[in-house]
Order: sequence, then C-alpha cells, then structure tokens
Amino acid sequence: MKSRKPSAVAARVAQYAVLCLGAFFTLLPFLWMISSSLKTPAEIVRIPPVMIPETAQFSNYAEAWAAAPFGRYLINTVIVTILTTAGVLVTSVLSAFAFSRLKFPGKDLVFSLFMATLMIPGEMLIITNFMTITKLKWIDTYQAMVIPWISNVFYIYLLTQFFMQVPDTLYLAAKVDKCSDLKFMLRIMVPMNKSAITTIAILNIIGSWNSFLWPLLVTNSQEMRVLSTGLIRFQTEAGTSYELIMAASCILVLPIVIIFLFLRKYVLEGVAFNGVKG
Amino acid sequence: MQHNQTVRRRLQNGKGYLYLAPSLIILLVFTIYPLIKAFMMSFCEDYSIINGSFKGVNLQNYQDLFADDVFLKALSNTSIYVVFVVPVSILLSLVIAVLIHNAARGKAIFQTLYFLPYVTSVIAIGIVWSWIFNSNYGLLNYFLSLFGIDAIPWLNDPQYALAALIIFSIWKSLAFNILIFLSGLSSISQDIYQAARIDSTPQMRVFFKITVPQLRPIIVYAFLMGLINAFKVYNEVFSLFQSKAGPANSAITVVYYIYDKFYNSGDYGVASAAAVVLFIIILVLTMVQKFIAKEKEAA
Amino acid sequence: MKRKSILCVTLAAALAAGSLAGCGTPASESSAASADTTSAQASAENGAAIQPCEVTFWHAMTGQQETTLTELTDQFNAENEYGIQVTLVNQGSYNDLSTKLTANAAADTLPDLSQAYNSWLIPYLDKVVHLDDFVANDYDNYEDIMEGYREETSQFGFINAMPFNKSTYVYFYNKTMFDELGLEAPETWDDLLNIGKTFQEEKGMVSLGFDDMAGMLEATLRQNGSDYVNEEGAQFNTEAGQQALDFIMEMYNNDYARLVGEDNYFSGPFSNQLIPAYVGSSTGVSYITHEGWELGVAPLPGNTEKAANTAGTNIVMFSKDENQQKAAWEYLKFLTSTDATVKWAMDTGYLPVRTSAYESETYQEFMAGDATATASYAQTDAFFSSPAFDGSYDIQNAVNAKLEELILNKADSTTAMQELVDAVNGAL
Repeated sequence: MKSRKPSAVAARVAQYAVLCLGAFFTLLPFLWMISSSLKTPAEIVRIPPVMIPETAQFSNYAEAWAAAPFGRYLINTVIVTILTTAGVLVTSVLSAFAFSRLKFPGKDLVFSLFMATLMIPGEMLIITNFMTITKLKWIDTYQAMVIPWISNVFYIYLLTQFFMQVPDTLYLAAKVDKCSDLKFMLRIMVPMNKSAITTIAILNIIGSWNSFLWPLLVTNSQEMRVLSTGLIRFQTEAGTSYELIMAASCILVLPIVIIFLFLRKYVLEGVAFNGVKG
Repeated sequence: MQHNQTVRRRLQNGKGYLYLAPSLIILLVFTIYPLIKAFMMSFCEDYSIINGSFKGVNLQNYQDLFADDVFLKALSNTSIYVVFVVPVSILLSLVIAVLIHNAARGKAIFQTLYFLPYVTSVIAIGIVWSWIFNSNYGLLNYFLSLFGIDAIPWLNDPQYALAALIIFSIWKSLAFNILIFLSGLSSISQDIYQAARIDSTPQMRVFFKITVPQLRPIIVYAFLMGLINAFKVYNEVFSLFQSKAGPANSAITVVYYIYDKFYNSGDYGVASAAAVVLFIIILVLTMVQKFIAKEKEAA
Repeated sequence: MKRKSILCVTLAAALAAGSLAGCGTPASESSAASADTTSAQASAENGAAIQPCEVTFWHAMTGQQETTLTELTDQFNAENEYGIQVTLVNQGSYNDLSTKLTANAAADTLPDLSQAYNSWLIPYLDKVVHLDDFVANDYDNYEDIMEGYREETSQFGFINAMPFNKSTYVYFYNKTMFDELGLEAPETWDDLLNIGKTFQEEKGMVSLGFDDMAGMLEATLRQNGSDYVNEEGAQFNTEAGQQALDFIMEMYNNDYARLVGEDNYFSGPFSNQLIPAYVGSSTGVSYITHEGWELGVAPLPGNTEKAANTAGTNIVMFSKDENQQKAAWEYLKFLTSTDATVKWAMDTGYLPVRTSAYESETYQEFMAGDATATASYAQTDAFFSSPAFDGSYDIQNAVNAKLEELILNKADSTTAMQELVDAVNGAL
C-alpha cells in the first residue's frame, strides 16, 4: 500500500475485481438457499426462477423445525461432531508426528498402506463396516457413529506435510535439552502448526456435521438420529418440498458458519516463531 | 552397556508404532479389512454379499467389466474429468488464495465468502447450478450471449454434459483448496517477503520465486488429494443431474458405475472389480506423481 | 355381510390351527410350507395364540404420508387384542431404505416388516417370509385386493408382500389450454398425435412428456398388445412392438413430445404452462401448482389395449420368529383392511388397494371431488407392474439411456428397434 504508482493501483483494482467476481459465484448458491427457504411452493417452481420471494415465508422455518425432533437431533449431532473431531485431532497429530519425526522400521510401507486406503471409494466399504458394527453390537450407539471416523488419512497426510516443514534443527535442539518426543510434539509442533490443525478441525466438523448415510445406517431409534437425517423428511418419490428442505438446510448450516467465523482467524494466523523456516 | 543400548533402540523403534497405533487400529478394522474383502469379492463369480456364496474363483467379473461399454465410457469420462478438473482447480484456488492473502483489506470477508460453498446444502448447490446451466434462462448462456455465442444445452445434450460437470466440479473444489492454501500461506515466514519487499521485487516474481516454492508441499498435497478425489467423483454427478448420470448416461463416472452396480443391480463382484481397477489406476498415478515430485526435489 | 363375518370366524379358527401346526419348526420353513399344514380341525379355544410383542416396521414415508401412517399404527396398537406394539422407523428415502435393507440382509438383522419394491428383494429373496399360508388361512377376502397388485406381489411364485402405498401413471393436462384449442383429453394414440399436431401448428408447443422413459416404453408396448422384457431378454421385436416404436418415434421426431432433460420432473414446466400435458405418477399431483388455469386428469390413452403402469411399494415380512410373524400379519391385515386403506388413500393421495375400498361410500364421495383419484380408478383394469428379476434393474437403466439417445438423435423407428433390443440383451 506504500507505493501509489498507477500500475500498482491498477493491480489493486484488478485484484479486488477478480476476488469480487469469484465471490459472487461462490455466494450465489448460498444466497439462493436462503431466498428459497422463504418462498412459497409456487415460487419455488416458477420459471424463470424467482430471485427474491414476494413475501418472505418465515413460517417455512417453523414448519421445517416441527417436521422432526430437531432438538434431540441437534444434541446428537453436537455430541457426535465433538467426539469425532477430538478423536481425529488426537490420531492425526500422533500419526503425523510419527511419520514426520520418528524413525522406525517399515515406515514407508505403513505410510503407503495409509495412502492406499484413500484409493478405494468409501461406497465399497459401507456394507462390510455395517456388518462389523452389528457384530460389535454397536447399532444405535454413539460409538458406531464416531469410532470408524476418528482416523482420517487425508488429515494425517496434510498434517505430515506441515510437520515436515518444521526444521530438524528444532527437534535436535530439543533432544539435546532432553525434551521427550511427546513433550516436543505438544509444546513445539502443535502450537507451531495451529493454522493447519484448525483447518483440519474445521473440515472435520463440517464432515461429521453433514454426514448422512452412515448415521442413518447404524441408527434405528429416533433418539439416536442426527440433524442431516431430518432433511430427507421433505422428499418423496414424486417430488420435493424444496422450500422446507432449504429452511432446514439453513438451520443446519447456521451453527457451522458460526463455528467457522470463530475459528477462521486461526487459519490465517501466521507462525508464531520468526525465522524458523529455511 | 551395549545390551542396554540395543534395548533402548528397540524401544525407540517401537515408539513410532505406539504413536501410529490409534489410527492404525481404526484403519485396519474399518478400511483395510473391508478393502481386502472387496479385493477378494472381485475374483468371486456371482458373489452374494448376503450369504457370502459364489460360483467360482476366476476373472469373470473383470471380463464382464471390460466387456461393458458403460464401464468403458465411465473410465474415459473419469479420465477426461481428472485431466481438466485437477490442474485448473489448483491453479484457480492458488491464485485466489494468494489474492486473499495479499489483500490489504477485507481478508476476513473474502476468506469467509469463499468458504461458504463448503457448508451450503448440496441440494441448493445442485439446483442453483442446474439453473446457471439452464439452456433458456441460465446465467452461463446469458454471459456467453454477450460474446455472441449461441445458447448451449448444457444439461440436455450428451455432448456438453461432461463439460458442465467439469465446470461445476472445479467450482465446487475451490473452497477446500483455498482453505488449505490459505493455511499454507500463513505458515510461510514473513521474513522472506520482507526481504523481497525491500528489494522491491515484482509481484509476479515474488509469487513464482517465493510463494510457490515455499508452498510446494501443500501444492503437492492438494494435487495428490485432488487427483484421488477426482477419480472418485460421484456426489457431483448426483447433485448436478439430480439422481442420474446425465442425458443418456453421458456423464457417468467410475464410482457412479460402482455404486449403481453394488446397490442397485446387486452385482457385488463386478462392482468390486471396478473398484479394484480404479484402485490400481490411482495407485499407479500417485506413484508416478511421487516419483516426479522427488525428481524435482532432487533437481 | 353376514356371510363375510362367518368367513372371518372360520379363518380365525384356521389361523389358530396354523399357529399350532407351526410350533417347533423353524420360522422360514413353516412360513414357506404349503397350505395343507393347516387343517380345518382347528379349535377356536386356541385362537389367542399371539403373545404380546413389538413389531418393527421400516418405511420411507414423510410428511402427510408419515402422519397418516402413524395415526393408523397408533390405532392398531391401541385396538389390537393381543398387545402387539408396532414401532415405525423412518429410514430416509427409498434409496436409503433400499441400502439399509441390503446391509441388514447381509448382517442378518432385517426388521419384521418393511416397505420394499420387488426389485430390491432379489439378492435376499430367501429371507422374505412367504405369505401364502397367512393369506389362505387368515385373510378376509384376498380376491378383493386389486388384481394388478396381486399379480405383482406373487410374481416370484409365492406371495411375497402385501400392497401398500400404490399409485399409477396418469395423464395430466392443462384443461384451459385444451379448451382454447377445442381439444379433449386423449383416449387413443391417434388422439395424442392429433393433440401434438394441433399444439405445434397453433402454438408451436411440444405437448407431451413422460417422467419415466422406460415406463413409457413398457406401457406403450403393452397398449399395443406386445410383451416387453423377461429373464431371456427383449420380447418386443415383433410387429406389434414395431408399431409401438413407430408411434413413439413419430411423437418425438415431430416434436409432439420431448424429454424431461434439465427440468428433472415435468411438474415444473407443467405448472408454469410451458408444456400442456404430461404423464407421471398420480402422487405427483401435490407438486403441480395451477394458478389461473384448470387442471385436468385423464387415464392413460391406449391403442389396441389399455395399459397403465402402477408404482409404489409393498410391505414385506422378514420376521423369523413364529410369534413375530403372526403379530406382523395382524398388522398387515389391519393396514390392508377396507377402512384403513380408504383412510390412507384419502389422506395421502395414494390409491386404495381393494375393490371394496373404491366402492365404499366414503371413497366414492372423495373421488367425486378428486380428478386424479377418478382417473386412476377408471384405469384399474389396465394396471400392470414391471416384472422384477435378476437383471431387470440393468435393463431399465439401459433402456432409459438408449431411449434418450435415440430421441436426441431423432433416430428412425427401425434403428430404434434394433438398438433397443441390443441394449436390453446387452444389459443381461
């Protein structure tokens, strides 16, 4: 911002123009979701589409909320999301630390094995896992919704990439100071990679908050169902009550947006130590 | 003394597995075991998942698979899809992430705006994009008409369905990549930039000489994950074409095919064989990619 | 009426005998056993043989449908004399329910009862309880169930389900537009061609669409007396079949009909008067909004014959335990009783499953004010359902894709025949 040369100003303008245009396209579906949640059924199907409903139908929200025991669903969703995310963070940090810092036989092989698990579509695994859960007698329990998801190779790999960037000199210095591996991991690695860990937390919260098929599969009772299963209340084989789905979606999404707004600054927060890189 | 050291080393050796144990156990039970089962299923003719019965152990499923035009179509569609979606998505999100990162003002707002698609209801996204693509009153054709291009029936014509899917998927993958890149960018030490600023190095040079190399591990990650995820594309097809694979099946992908065979046709063996083929393709490509990445690192 | 009640008593006695005879044998065996295990020697003292128990029923009903189903179930739970408690469990959409059933079949944890299409059952058909004995010994009047439904639920060679939420395809049309052009609802293929021609000439409009393309092909073939497909492959490569394809391609190639494409369901463009008529499920009427124009509903037109697709699921029993089976059957009897099916149909827009329900005063009264119900009733004699067999899903898939392709390419009808036959046979 110091330089006020015309070319620099032009670059600024171009930068914001590109960002705003992109933002328009990313924002469009989100706004559409909100606008649709306030439409009448007639406005939903009108061609060409109605951008802004004539009168906002706030009653859609009341109707959507009443369609299922969303209060109970909300509690379950929060429990499942917190447990899963906590589990994912613990296993990811431990594994990423092992892959990036520790030396042990068969490391490359195990890492390849981890990576290989990403290469098969999850759709293939569902039925076998369901049978496992049944054998464990976990149907209709929180552990059925949590345990299979507390290890995620996408996150382990991401965190490994970040951990690798922390210079070896720090680790060796810590070793000289007789700092244990666990202490080093918790005192140095974790705080230094706050941004990456927050990113993982955000991604995982969204993932478990929205997960649908698996929770539906392993629960049978109303008391154990989660929010996302409430969305299907508005779909039938002959059509869909979009205005109610959208209202329910907005309800579903609101907590995540709040969580994101709360956590997002940690993503942008730079490394606390100066000069540790390169 | 000597003895003690070996014990300690051995303990040291085992330590890595101690850290890995939680993930490893979960993965063994809930991913690797079903994965092995799927591999075995693919060699069982007429396998029934209900009672585990099958006619014989052979390559019948693979023969059926490669004799099926729909699978071949799915394979070629998926390849085209990957070739377009992965690089374009990474390039675009990298540029946007850098622009946001360098924004003097509104950083937080843009970060949030670009993240919103990630939390928006899939159904809303599907509807909005089928409206954007609509041949008569869609936004995209409106923009094209400004350049004198005739209306394109994106979702009605098999010729354009895959293109529509690619555009939609690039858009959809941006939010994730931007978030990852932003987190990577903030991990780059400011000192390096400071030095460049003092030298008043041009922006473009800074981008290619500092940002990209510093971000390399994250770019490699995004590329690899993008590749794997692009090969497994399924939800995008489902949401854009509303529960089908485009006009006349023209936008069918491998995972769509697998899902359909597994859950709708009950051809568990053929579905597993398709999954194994997909697995091998991804495996080979990631190995090639790793090799190239290593070569570059050495250079 | 009197004769009916006597029949009921006899049947109840017969059921009691059946329950005795079944004692000690594995559930699946007894359920599959032939009718002679039950004898007329049954004594009424053993009638109350069902122990109080909980019966689980998985379904995919939402909104008003779920409300009515809950009301009916509450009524059954309160009124049944055995202390049977039916628990309803919503399992998502049909797709989700189907996936869930497959997974539970693999884990051997299927519920007592579930909604299901016949085609879903093929991988785990041996887990389905045969209802023949129950029907023979403990059902008031099976012949009263609509013939089309009885055929559908016995297509595997035994009675595999009781019909529940049934619908049919009807012809929805914009009566205001039709009146303007002096057109009537079509009764024959020629009428359809004429309507298509008139709309093209007068308004430059495409006048017909089908939500379900494979269903359209099957109905059209049957309307011309041609078969469709079976386990051996395509059965329509005949003169009658060719005529049907000639008609289909004439409709599409002249732009009298069009594909649904990006609209997904025709109810959207139809509500917006962008297309004056379409063929779709009778339950789809709740998604049609007609502001400022009059909606007309007619039975499907025919040619040499009448044929109308039925849709919707049936209720299948999976209970293994003898007592559970009997309890579940009590519930099925209740749900398919005349009173229950009338209430169900009137509240949800689905169709009653019994003739006596159609003929009941309550439903007649309701039908007088409901064009969709009237049109559906008018074609009950023409009901048919697509046969389900190993590979039928793949055929449907292949036919849908191939038909779309042929229509987009404006293929001639001889090519269409050739390619459709190849597509069907290739899918097997």
